[in-house]
Amino acid sequence: MAEKVEKWYPGEPRGKISYGRMILYSLTTLGILSGLIRLFFGLGSPITNLSDAYPWGLWISFDVLAGVALAGGGFTMAATIYVFNLKKFEPLLRPAKISAFLGYLMFIFGLFFDLGLPWRIWHPLIYWNTHSVLFEVAWCVMLYTTVLGIDVLIMALERFQIEGPVRFLRSIYVIFIVAGIILSTLHQSSLGALYLLLPEKMSELWATNAIGILFFASAVIGGLSVVTIESLVSARVYGRQPEMHILPDLAKGLAVALLVYFAMKVTDLYARRVAFFALDWQHLLFYIEIFGTVALPALLLTFREIRESPMGLLWCAGLAAFGVALNRFNVSLTSYGGYREFSYFPSLIEIFLTVGLVAGGILLFDFLTKNLPVYHEELIGHGEPSS
Amino acid sequence: MSKGMLIDTTRCIGCRACQTACKSWNNLPGVKTTFSDTWSNPRYLSSADFTRIIFREDLHADGTVGWHFIKRQCMHCNDPACVSACPVAALQKLANGPVVYDDSRCIGCRYCMMACPFQIPKFQWDSAVPFIRKCTFCADRQAVGLEPACATTCPTSALLFGDRQELIAAAWRRIHQNPGRYHPEVYGEKIAGGTAKLYLTAQSFEALGLNHQGFRTDLGETPQGVYGREWMGKVPFVALAVGGLTLGLYAINRRRAELAAAEAAAKHEGKEV
Ligand code: SF4
Ligand code: SF4
Ligand code: SF4
Repeated sequence: MAEKVEKWYPGEPRGKISYGRMILYSLTTLGILSGLIRLFFGLGSPITNLSDAYPWGLWISFDVLAGVALAGGGFTMAATIYVFNLKKFEPLLRPAKISAFLGYLMFIFGLFFDLGLPWRIWHPLIYWNTHSVLFEVAWCVMLYTTVLGIDVLIMALERFQIEGPVRFLRSIYVIFIVAGIILSTLHQSSLGALYLLLPEKMSELWATNAIGILFFASAVIGGLSVVTIESLVSARVYGRQPEMHILPDLAKGLAVALLVYFAMKVTDLYARRVAFFALDWQHLLFYIEIFGTVALPALLLTFREIRESPMGLLWCAGLAAFGVALNRFNVSLTSYGGYREFSYFPSLIEIFLTVGLVAGGILLFDFLTKNLPVYHEELIGHGEPSS
Repeated sequence: MSKGMLIDTTRCIGCRACQTACKSWNNLPGVKTTFSDTWSNPRYLSSADFTRIIFREDLHADGTVGWHFIKRQCMHCNDPACVSACPVAALQKLANGPVVYDDSRCIGCRYCMMACPFQIPKFQWDSAVPFIRKCTFCADRQAVGLEPACATTCPTSALLFGDRQELIAAAWRRIHQNPGRYHPEVYGEKIAGGTAKLYLTAQSFEALGLNHQGFRTDLGETPQGVYGREWMGKVPFVALAVGGLTLGLYAINRRRAELAAAEAAAKHEGKEV
């Protein structure tokens, strides 16, 4: 093994475990334990609070739907840089890929524990139903995670200075770019299209034929905002300089995406003649979603001062990312089956597993960014195969 | 020829023999039930109860109490949402009517439960190796020329097994020949694309208060699975369009960068000379 490259993180004391890290380790352990319990005892009560009335719960809403949308940074940044030719954003690409990769791993682990028969998770490979939206999602996610895995592999090979394979992968890299963008477009929207089959079980605020394209648009928001948050937070944690020379411009993109999404939402409501004014809890959630987490950050981002202050950016991106997650919860849980006499709130095991996945993801992110050439200042001489 | 079952709820006496027959034919475990505010027992369908009779009291104008007994089980849709939903094709619609499930394929994702407009597929929650369970329309019995167990056992012929088209005609004949006895609709003839199970009721399902208990009346005539299939039909084109655009723009960007580099180099040389 090559020597450990320990060069660019003055912020981290060596050999000492910080509090934050200790908490993350404990949460991850708790998550692993919860996962084991679920595997041995099944999904029934009291392990999870899922039931015939609520077949899908927290794991689908958060680990799968919100997780994938927030991991949209990988394809969003790739498209920005390679398709829209905005090369100045390149410093954000690799961190985005790492966090996207981890987001998809989280998806796969979450789904693994959610499936009744998890050891058959590979079945869509051999049993096909090309009419099923979920079948397409399964394939796209599998392939896209592979693409992201190759990205991480390239970084690892660079880290150990194994030039041959890197040169080969670079020479066919355009395939991965194109494949990544196609696959993401498809499954990000198809995750919404899953809900095309059950409009009668959803609140009409969210049950729309346009749900696929709305999911896609909000995944772009999720991606852009997570990339922003991640750059600002990791800069603080690692004692680096945040990319303040490009983040304000990225924020402009985020603002545009939010505005477009807002317009799409409003058009959709108008076209379907949905009663917009009411005071039940579903409408309240809906107002929070579109005013608090779409319109508000879009509005704030129009101010130059906010765009250029790390704190302002963090707040706006945080709101937007929260809004994307809230939307996924609204579509999949709060809007679902509101007319029936059942209710659902996740069990402790469900919550621990989810929290554990997030904590584990953060630890892995930390490990990967420390050990792979991820940040721009480390890339001198490497660089992406930019056109 | 697709089979169906005409469920004439006005003939049903609520004896629940069908529930018992279904249990014994399908070898389903007994379930501890509890007393509830309705006579229906069990209270919900489950992986161990494929069918149940819903009891509904009805206060007549003259103060007497009338009863409605409504059998519930999988509707065996003509174009089932569950079949469209299942990613591994564990659910299949057979040509003779039944919608059947293959244990060996299922991954336990429960999308069929989400998708079914009648909320029929149930999950074996208490097992560490859980499968989906629901009424099979006794496909195994049909395969050897027998009627479904519930229909065979019904003492009042409230459950009539036969050719679906003929049953629809028979149902309308009953409606026309007995004015006032039936709500003038055959539930299942058209709803959600039509189902193998056909219902005759004394009142509409809304009036019975069952339209949100498994007998939705707002489903329209389009089978829900169509929406998923239309989406899947567009997927290849979206993939091609996105792929083409991405590749095209990428190539243009690359060419531009090359030209710019060449130009810069040329300029540079020019200066040297
Ligand atoms: S009633 Fe539900 S489970 Fe039965 S065939 Fe129709 S969609 Fe499938
Ligand atoms: S739970 Fe099983 S039968 Fe139902 S959709 Fe998933 S794989 Fe298909
Ligand atoms: S058709 Fe068979 S499986 Fe379905 S309810 Fe009747 S007896 Fe049960």
